[in-house]
Amino acid sequence: MESRPLVVVGAGISGTAAAIQAAEVGVSVSLIDENPIPNGMVGMNVPHFFGQSLPPGNESASIETFIPTTVALAEAEELGVDVRLGTCVWGTFRNRENSRLLDGPQVGLADTERSWMMNYERLIIATGARDLSIGFVGWDLAGVMGANGAHSLMNRSANLASRRMVLLGSGNLGLKTAKMALENGIEVVAVVDVSPTVQGDAALVEALRTEGVELFTSHTVKEAAGKNGCIESVVLVGIDDDGEPVAGTEKMVSADIVCLAIGLVPNVELLSLLDCELTFKSEIGGYVPRHDDRMRTSVDDVLVAGDAAGFHDGMIIDPDIARNQGRLAGIAASASLGAIGPTEAEDLMSEIRSEILSQAGAKPTEVHTGWKRWLGSFVKAGGQDVLACPCEGVTRAEIIGLQPPRYLEWGSEQMNRRSLQTQVEDNPANPNQIKRLTRAGTGICQGRRCREQAALLLAEEANTPISEIPLMTYRPPVRPLPLSIMWPDDESEQVRTEWPKWFSPNNKVLG
Amino acid sequence: MPTDSAEIVVIGGGVSGLSSAYYLAKAGKDVIVVEKGMVGGEASGRNGGMISERTDEPALIPLAVESVRLWATLEDELGYPTEFIHQGRVQVGVSEEEMGDIFSERDEALRHGISVEPLDPSEVQDLVPGITARTLGGLFFANGGHANPQRAVQAFAWAFQDLGGRLYQNTAVTGINVEDDKVTSVETTAGSMAADVVVAAAGPQTALLAEMAGVHVPIAPARVEIIATAPLEPLFDIALVGNGLYGRQAARGNLLFGGGAHEWIDVDLTSEPGKPNTPLIRNIARRLAELLPAVANTPVIRSWAGIVEQAPDYLPIIDIADNPSNYIVVTASAHGFGIAPATGKVVSDLVLHGDSSIDISGLGLNRFSDLDPRWREERGWVPSFERS
Ligand SMILES: Cc1cc2nc3c(=O)[nH]c(=O)nc-3n(C[C@H](O)[C@H](O)[C@H](O)COP(=O)(O)OP(=O)(O)OC[C@H]3O[C@@H](n4cnc5c(N)ncnc54)[C@H](O)[C@@H]3O)c2cc1C
Repeated sequence: MESRPLVVVGAGISGTAAAIQAAEVGVSVSLIDENPIPNGMVGMNVPHFFGQSLPPGNESASIETFIPTTVALAEAEELGVDVRLGTCVWGTFRNRENSRLLDGPQVGLADTERSWMMNYERLIIATGARDLSIGFVGWDLAGVMGANGAHSLMNRSANLASRRMVLLGSGNLGLKTAKMALENGIEVVAVVDVSPTVQGDAALVEALRTEGVELFTSHTVKEAAGKNGCIESVVLVGIDDDGEPVAGTEKMVSADIVCLAIGLVPNVELLSLLDCELTFKSEIGGYVPRHDDRMRTSVDDVLVAGDAAGFHDGMIIDPDIARNQGRLAGIAASASLGAIGPTEAEDLMSEIRSEILSQAGAKPTEVHTGWKRWLGSFVKAGGQDVLACPCEGVTRAEIIGLQPPRYLEWGSEQMNRRSLQTQVEDNPANPNQIKRLTRAGTGICQGRRCREQAALLLAEEANTPISEIPLMTYRPPVRPLPLSIMWPDDESEQVRTEWPKWFSPNNKVLG
Repeated sequence: MPTDSAEIVVIGGGVSGLSSAYYLAKAGKDVIVVEKGMVGGEASGRNGGMISERTDEPALIPLAVESVRLWATLEDELGYPTEFIHQGRVQVGVSEEEMGDIFSERDEALRHGISVEPLDPSEVQDLVPGITARTLGGLFFANGGHANPQRAVQAFAWAFQDLGGRLYQNTAVTGINVEDDKVTSVETTAGSMAADVVVAAAGPQTALLAEMAGVHVPIAPARVEIIATAPLEPLFDIALVGNGLYGRQAARGNLLFGGGAHEWIDVDLTSEPGKPNTPLIRNIARRLAELLPAVANTPVIRSWAGIVEQAPDYLPIIDIADNPSNYIVVTASAHGFGIAPATGKVVSDLVLHGDSSIDISGLGLNRFSDLDPRWREERGWVPSFERS
């Protein structure tokens, strides 16, 4: 099996900074990133929300045009970091209660050809954050995508064929995305926010206004519509303080992209697989890993950095926050590997910490009230018969009614008396029940597009704070991987020949 | 003062406990089910969903045969979907060794009057399009099929409630009170619950509970794994066994297959046991790709693990304890999903009449009277030490 003292997952700002920091003190590091994302994954809406299918004219967007060669990545390579692009980490494994037979802690890797395992001594998870998606009427049309999806598509193909974007969310994420769209020659026809004021940085707002971008506060999307499964127009509507649409304020704009930039959710799936303790902190995106001031999680040998450790809108304006977290994690990991002495490490870390303190901008505020406001406005403007889980075709109404999937064609008196509300009467609300019974969250995007919405609906029905709703479980592989790629070329002779039958008496058993 | 009391308290909201509770409530009994997590949270919501007449385990055949009969009308009986599909089961041989198993199963089936049909490779191909060209033959079991475990467990739970049964979830049993050779009540995290009869159907924890009642139930817990692919167009509707795997295509189209090494573990009474997957899921994926090469490019989208318990002879234990004599033990030895409806009927019979109309003579506690107390260690059915 391959093996590295330090494995860093995610070659964004924080992961690259961590790898550089460790390489500088002589630690042998692998820095792994799935970009450029293969077209196959894009089609499955993994890891970003790219939309039902790429808008016409974009299918052939060549992945070769996107090679994430940032200056920092070049520096990392120069320092001897083993940089692996186009490689995803689909699983993390370690020995623990009820699983004690592994040859040490390891990550599962894959590219478009094969998968393999790699041992690590220290692991830094810097996997970033993904788009929050909440459904409105027509969000299943091609052309609706998340901000990360849009960034990725714009990066892959300088000439994204789409021309007119409606952008939801006026925080820094939305404003930056609007700016990026403009730079890519896409017209931003509206920036929409349910809140009465623009959320993001004043300078960014000014820059957009100068470019003639119109901002619609106290507005939401009533519906997106179009022919042949693609968006052509979007109806915006003004909303009052309760999120109710205000009659007569509808405005139709023509657009071929609707970009959801209403929030980001830390990518904690690899941490969750390792049983790193996750705690709910609304101000940094919901479930985030508990970590100390060296970025160490509750699990020995596993550290975090950047958006995966918790994301707030200020991090978009100030990339040094993520960078410094990466550096901290890089030093802490190196120190624990003995590559630098404890005093030297402590000096370096306190330097970074004071830098962090001096940069500390406004304290981030909780985000879920805003998320609920988006959901509420979509419900009031467009109803509950809107897909919540696009993969499995499950609507919000079906989740609330706890309905069996339509293909079962099940109807019975008894079933009609059951709902999410009756379910939470005899059991604390758990989104895994939604998954089991409605199948929302069981699709090919692995719940990336419905988890938060399902949790919000459940909190609402259970009349429970969102912080009390557990995480819908993450399972490996956290990327959809063809059987032929999961296939272990390196399967041992023993596993081959001593493969047991189901607890059969006349068979020897491994382990 | 007990918090609640009933004629029967069932410990464990898995499929065995809920099926028992359902049939007891249907017989007019006042029943409580106490479950430490959520219904079907353990093996009962995590298994392969395979249902068969168990020709490989003669002692189980009467129970299994009755169960298949009950599954056929269960949705109507309960009023909720189970996704039961009654198209039979195909055992495929892709090696000489598997063909050997097939021949002995055929002989066993015929001996017990169970309907089986040998298949040549092209007949297997007709039933399972896309099956490997390495197929040497197969055996078709007409009776049997598969169902969706999570839906089926929930169906039992809801139907039980519809009959007035009381279900306590997130409530663990922490103690068993015995007076004058009778269980009087159970202690739970929600207070004590008095009962005339206690049914312990707590999966691997059944042993720990029994110990508190002074009954010895020899079982060892193990962790097993399973994978799920993205949905495919309908390929086959039978339950499939072959290339060291067992599995099915779900109503939605996903392939769900499990198999491979299990890991012996220990559990405690009240906490949820950890159920991590391991890189074994890659080996399962490979075997599935070997078995069904035509769909080898289908993505795996999740995997999970579950905990089963095993008696020394790999058979369920369903019996009334000698002492206390109002204590019934139900543990499935990893056969529990398919046989669940009949298990419930048997338990209800045992409570109501003291014996069962279905033959469970091979499943009693007395078969272990000579068992060496150190049997787990002797067989190596104990957790391994951490290697690294
Ligand atoms: C991966 C996998 C595949 C399988 N495939 C098949 C298959 O294809 N066909 C088949 O027939 N079988 C299969 N099995 C076996 C089958 O799932 C089990 O035998 C069956 O579910 C056992 O049901 P049960 O109700 O007896 O136990 P469980 O499902 O284990 O339920 C016991 C319940 O008791 C609760 N409990 C434990 N202790 C306490 C306490 N102190 N207080 C309160 N509650 C407690 C637990 O939380 C649990 O919910 C499989 C199992 C696994 C894991």
